[in-house]
Amino acid sequence: MSSFATLNTARTALWAQQRAIDVTGQNIANVNTDGYSRQRAELQSLGGSTVPAFFSTSSGIGSGVDAAKVARIRDAFLEGRAHQEYANNAQLTVENESFDLVEQAFREPGDTGVQSLLSKMWAGWGDVANQPQDLAARSQVLQRLGTLVGGLHAGQASLDAQWTQTRENLDVVVKDVNAAAASIADLNQAIKRANLGGLPANELTDRRDSLVMKLAENVGATIRPTEDGVVDVIVAGITLVSGSKASEIKAVGSIDPADTATVPPTDPPRIVTATGGYAVQVGGKTAGQLNTLNTIIPTYRNKLDAVAVGLAATLNGQHTAGYDLAGNPGTAILDSSSGPITAKSIRLAITDPKLVAASSLAPGTGGPALDNGNADKISQLRLSTTGVDANYRQMIVDLGVQGAVTTRNLDIQQVVTQQVDSARDAVAGVNIDEEMTNMLSYQHAYSAASRLVTTVDEMLDQLINRTGLVGR
Amino acid sequence: MRITQRAVALTSLQGLNRNLDSVAKLQQQLTSGKQISAPSDSPTGTNRAMQTRNDQAAVDQQARNITDAQAWLDQTGSTMQSMIAQVQRVRDLTVQGLNTGAASGPSQQALATEVASIRDGLIALSNVSVQGRPLFGGVTSSGQAYTTAGAWAGNAGAPVMRRVSDTESIRIDITGPEAFGTAPSDLFSVVDNIATDLTANPAALDGHLTALDDVLKGMLAGVADIGSRATRVDGLAQINSDRALSLSSQLAVTEDIDMPETIMRLQMLQVGYQAALAATSKAIQPSLLDYLR
Repeated sequence: MSSFATLNTARTALWAQQRAIDVTGQNIANVNTDGYSRQRAELQSLGGSTVPAFFSTSSGIGSGVDAAKVARIRDAFLEGRAHQEYANNAQLTVENESFDLVEQAFREPGDTGVQSLLSKMWAGWGDVANQPQDLAARSQVLQRLGTLVGGLHAGQASLDAQWTQTRENLDVVVKDVNAAAASIADLNQAIKRANLGGLPANELTDRRDSLVMKLAENVGATIRPTEDGVVDVIVAGITLVSGSKASEIKAVGSIDPADTATVPPTDPPRIVTATGGYAVQVGGKTAGQLNTLNTIIPTYRNKLDAVAVGLAATLNGQHTAGYDLAGNPGTAILDSSSGPITAKSIRLAITDPKLVAASSLAPGTGGPALDNGNADKISQLRLSTTGVDANYRQMIVDLGVQGAVTTRNLDIQQVVTQQVDSARDAVAGVNIDEEMTNMLSYQHAYSAASRLVTTVDEMLDQLINRTGLVGR
Repeated sequence: MRITQRAVALTSLQGLNRNLDSVAKLQQQLTSGKQISAPSDSPTGTNRAMQTRNDQAAVDQQARNITDAQAWLDQTGSTMQSMIAQVQRVRDLTVQGLNTGAASGPSQQALATEVASIRDGLIALSNVSVQGRPLFGGVTSSGQAYTTAGAWAGNAGAPVMRRVSDTESIRIDITGPEAFGTAPSDLFSVVDNIATDLTANPAALDGHLTALDDVLKGMLAGVADIGSRATRVDGLAQINSDRALSLSSQLAVTEDIDMPETIMRLQMLQVGYQAALAATSKAIQPSLLDYLR
């Protein structure tokens, strides 16, 4: 072992410690960067010759340290779990928002909801029963019925607007997913090249993994690592990104909320592959949006339609059993502007207050009777346990229960997601104390290596300048 | 477990957010005064609130019905009272006509004229109407209970009812035939006969007097009937207002917040929130940097 070899050892040490300090610097710089995984200079002692030969022996002491590799510290299993939990969280968040909006559409409980409009309408029939001869009471009940019909229209319109907005959002998210998939493919290519060229690709990998997380959130993507640091992105068995190639998905299906009224819908909004048009069972945000489009809003839309149909059937049934002010049999009081009766098409069929059939007594010899029997019967329809009020209340209770369940599920999911996040951060996050301690060690190691150089220098100085002075 | 500054910061932030969320929720309850602002806050509470509001609207309507019934019954009662007074006068005059059988023609004539004019008054009274509807006309739409000739022009096809509670309707009218007897032995025919026979056939007056007494009995029974129904409606009015009170307190219990409790909870949450803020500022600050040269 030559003295110059020791100098070389010191040189590798200086170089390695400096590199380690560089890495520490990078870690500290990125302590608050989202998606950054901490890095570590992998120090490795250098041994002697791996293949000993006659003129290639080592002294048994190694020849320094090598820090060629900078490892990225990340737990692949935790990442996998995070993909899943982020997807669940995104889906529940969307569904929870949908229920919130549906609740807002009905404005219950309160003085402005359909229930209160119903109560006022029934009370209006009570006034007609008190004053069957009074046109004011009769037109009042028609006005109140008109307001109720308006309330049904408004509820339906608000659900439809929510549906249309969600449908548009779905398209936006799909565009976002396709863009992210293309970026991931590009990054895969770059990472592959870097790895093949022996260049560090940690930062590129961080960027790619952030994009993968975004895909997991949006469509419930999972990954399958392949060679050279490349990952394939898979959505429900369909490969979205394969190495450096990205395929696309698209949202197809109806863009009109009225199409979802039939069960099952003929052309439900769904996600398919852009080429081939195969259905993709997405997760994450898009799954929440699809659930909103195909289940949540249509359910309440149909229930509101049923309320409108029930209202029309009940009122018309009783109204046609009565007689109006002129003694003519009552006609239908509610009908549809076009097609079957829905919450959207329901409308007031009569405008003349004289046509309100308040009497249950057919006209006799003395002309039409000023009876109030039918008006009273109509005002009592609110008590029916299978009537409009009961059905509407049932619907609101269902909505409340489902909304509450979704909120609770979201709360739980948020805790789970947060735990996974902490676990990931525990592995991949930067701890300043740790970095400080590492910096201290590397700094001291650097000083010690410098001292080694000085020591060898002094030794050589001793040898060269002060040894063998005899005869000088 | 490895803990990092970022994890501590994130966890603290999430904790603070949760605290602030609870504070916001309570504050929203305090400012709106309602503990249920959406069905998902309490589905059963929402159901009860909606039902109670529905009942409240019905009870309000029933209160209006009851007021209307009271007006109708009172008017009927007082009209019949004044008619009975008139009929008493007819009776007096008839008795006078009987006793003065030997009296002169002109005085009989005077009695007959008075009875005839009382009859016109009685017919006018029997046509008294409330809001355009004759009290004794049943469900007639003709606006008149008796013609000037004293024939009933009403319609007894159905009683006039007022809804006083969810389960109960009360009849508020009494038809002409029920109150004044049916033709030909009704009030107006009898009085007409008396007016005629005071001059034409005083001997028949005895029989007419009996008939008049029968009619009077019927009228008194009618007044008693109306009176007892009015009493019943008054009782129901009391029940109705009690029900309205209990419904509004029920709604308040379901929907409104318990003010002292909510304020106390808000105070406690605020203390917790401040503690969390203080703890966070202490936990996030120090790192090894503070102690290294």
